[in-house]
Amino acid sequence: MISIVLAALAGAGLTGPESPTECRLAAPLAPEFYVIELVSTRRIPGSGASTGTVDVTFAPSPFGVSLTENGDYLRDLEINVSNLRAPDQGSFVVWVTTPQLDSIERVGVLGDGTLRGQVRWNKFLVVISLEQDDASTAPRWAGPIILRGMSKSGAMHTSAGHGPFETENCASYGFRE
Amino acid sequence: MRLAAFVVGLALCFTPAAAQQVSDPTGSGDSLVWRMPPSSPNMQMLMAPFMGIVPDVTPFLPGPGVDVLTLSEATVGGLVRLADGDTLRLEATLLRREIDGRMIKVYGFNGQSPGPTIRVPQHSTIIVQFTNRIDFPTTLRWHGVRLDNQFDGVPGQTQSPVRVGETYTAEVYFPDAGAFWYHPHQRGHIAQELGLYGAIIVDSPDLDYYSSANLEETLLLDDVLLDDLGILPFGFEAPVQALMGRFGNVLLINGQPDYRRSVNKGDVVRLFLTDASNTRPFNLRIEGGVRMKLVGGDLGKFEREEWISSVIIAPGQRYIVEVMFEEEGEFALTNRITAVDHFLGEFEYQVDTLGIFEVSSRPTDFDYSAQFETLRTYDGGFDEVRAQAGRPVDEELVLSLRIGALPLPVIRMLEMDTLYYPPVEFNDAMPMMNWLSTGMNVLWLMHDPAPDVDPRDLGPATGWRFRQGDLVKIRLFNDPDSWHPMSHPLHLHGQRFVVLEQDGVPSSNLVWRDTVLVPVGSTVDLMVEMSNPGSWMFNCQIPEHLGAGMSMSFVVQPTGA
Ligand SMILES: [Cu+2]
Repeated sequence: MISIVLAALAGAGLTGPESPTECRLAAPLAPEFYVIELVSTRRIPGSGASTGTVDVTFAPSPFGVSLTENGDYLRDLEINVSNLRAPDQGSFVVWVTTPQLDSIERVGVLGDGTLRGQVRWNKFLVVISLEQDDASTAPRWAGPIILRGMSKSGAMHTSAGHGPFETENCASYGFRE
Repeated sequence: MRLAAFVVGLALCFTPAAAQQVSDPTGSGDSLVWRMPPSSPNMQMLMAPFMGIVPDVTPFLPGPGVDVLTLSEATVGGLVRLADGDTLRLEATLLRREIDGRMIKVYGFNGQSPGPTIRVPQHSTIIVQFTNRIDFPTTLRWHGVRLDNQFDGVPGQTQSPVRVGETYTAEVYFPDAGAFWYHPHQRGHIAQELGLYGAIIVDSPDLDYYSSANLEETLLLDDVLLDDLGILPFGFEAPVQALMGRFGNVLLINGQPDYRRSVNKGDVVRLFLTDASNTRPFNLRIEGGVRMKLVGGDLGKFEREEWISSVIIAPGQRYIVEVMFEEEGEFALTNRITAVDHFLGEFEYQVDTLGIFEVSSRPTDFDYSAQFETLRTYDGGFDEVRAQAGRPVDEELVLSLRIGALPLPVIRMLEMDTLYYPPVEFNDAMPMMNWLSTGMNVLWLMHDPAPDVDPRDLGPATGWRFRQGDLVKIRLFNDPDSWHPMSHPLHLHGQRFVVLEQDGVPSSNLVWRDTVLVPVGSTVDLMVEMSNPGSWMFNCQIPEHLGAGMSMSFVVQPTGA
């Protein structure tokens, strides 16, 4: 069966993806595909050159895959920030939020540039803000945003108005034209 | 480009396939024409560019020429208890079943679909005489059972396909306690989808192996793809739905869309769960706060029992859970997932009810609540495995996809679709694109890491040879840079393994397995105990992927050879 398929494909003008790199296989860490890049807003002195990443892995589960009771992915985050000067006053606080900002959760204070947390939404933003204190009881950030990034799933967008659906009226699907 | 012009252009490209509308000449009443798969309104939008294109294989429905009303109605598989040395006759035939008002042809064993649940003592051997009276040659597999290699049921590797009318005799030895199942391994995309499978429970001689329970239930989880005309046709030469596998739109437990079970208040019920669907992973929970305790997996018990809020189970996998019904009332067994809506670019919450537990006001006959509250541990020989977890990887496999002569709109849609893939596919988000992908135009691969090899030259990994008694560390990497990466439930025949770690995160609660779900982008390390000599298969459990090339072979040489 396999040889038949191979033969059929051999004559079919195959296309294929780029091959994986060896370095990725050498160090099993968070899937590179889902890594979130944190981008600086350059809003405060000492943050302009800052960069960061968020590694996304499944929260430990006997099933390998971890889900919330609603079926969202339950995932651990490892936030790593570099080239960010410690603030003269206050703390850098990490938050996760849904893209519409209708749900916001505090992850914690970014100590020495590294923090671990958890997220229970499939599409989310990671936000790092400068707060006057550790914002331990705050419902959302009050200070300026220093770095932010979006989950890989944020790349999903409506097909209405694009490609073969470019004549589709976006507004009829709840999007602005 | 205007939509109409786009569609006309495509139609010109694909005239030969588009003309392939096959009517059933036998007058059986079946609608043997290719028709677009059913889908939600948003997904129907996505289907517009594919109008007029059909798969590049011949459509097939079971029992060509057979009037469905002449078939016996399938009954629910009964329990067959067997002892060492007993013989079981399994006759596979066509049957009929009514699902949601549609009378359809299914397959089953001994008049039952799914077939009988086989319950045997650990360390026993049974003789199975399998007679094939379905529409095509096939074989039977004993999924997860570490039996003698010659009876593993892999056509072309361990045996010849059992032709129609023939009987094949297998000796099936059960070395492990746990939950297993039997299913076909040739044209499984048709036969398994239509109910040709059954459950196996292997009991430990240790009477205290499990906590006490009032009731044991075997639940085979499945789905079937139906439209107004009945079963959507299959590909005959090769599977259709080769990209994502065949998701059904009616969920089934033990072949039934309306499973119900009556229990008494306070009953502890042990559930043996098997995902017998072609491609659907489930996120199962019992609504109403019913507590669930995870007890076992594929080949026996977990290291530690633990409380869980749901069971995440992928095709081919089994889990053993205990639940206690503390309140009177009706409690739904649901599948709660986030489906991807590619047209809107959003996740969508979906809740489907698979069945209902009816809890009466009558108190339980025996109160096992104290045992239920206790979380036990189990010495399954995991310490030795864990002690070697840090050693170098012995073998690596990359999971990826090559595409061939896919219809142009499918390629265009794949190109548009490359920005994001969910780690696990819980629904068929692209039914039309999936339907047009077949075992003739896509090739799923389990290949060696080969960064310097032209992807067009990649083939299945070869040359894996081990010795009986070896512990072998295998690394699986699901390459997200494929054209259409997807989660794969990989099944290793004849041996058992533990998942050491996933994405660098060590497993904290081990269980012996034979099937592991590898999410997109993930790296999963297994430690395999090569205990069973022979020439074995390692394959994706999704029959549409298997039928599109997703398998490889390995050899375990006997000690002393
Ligand atoms: Cu697969």
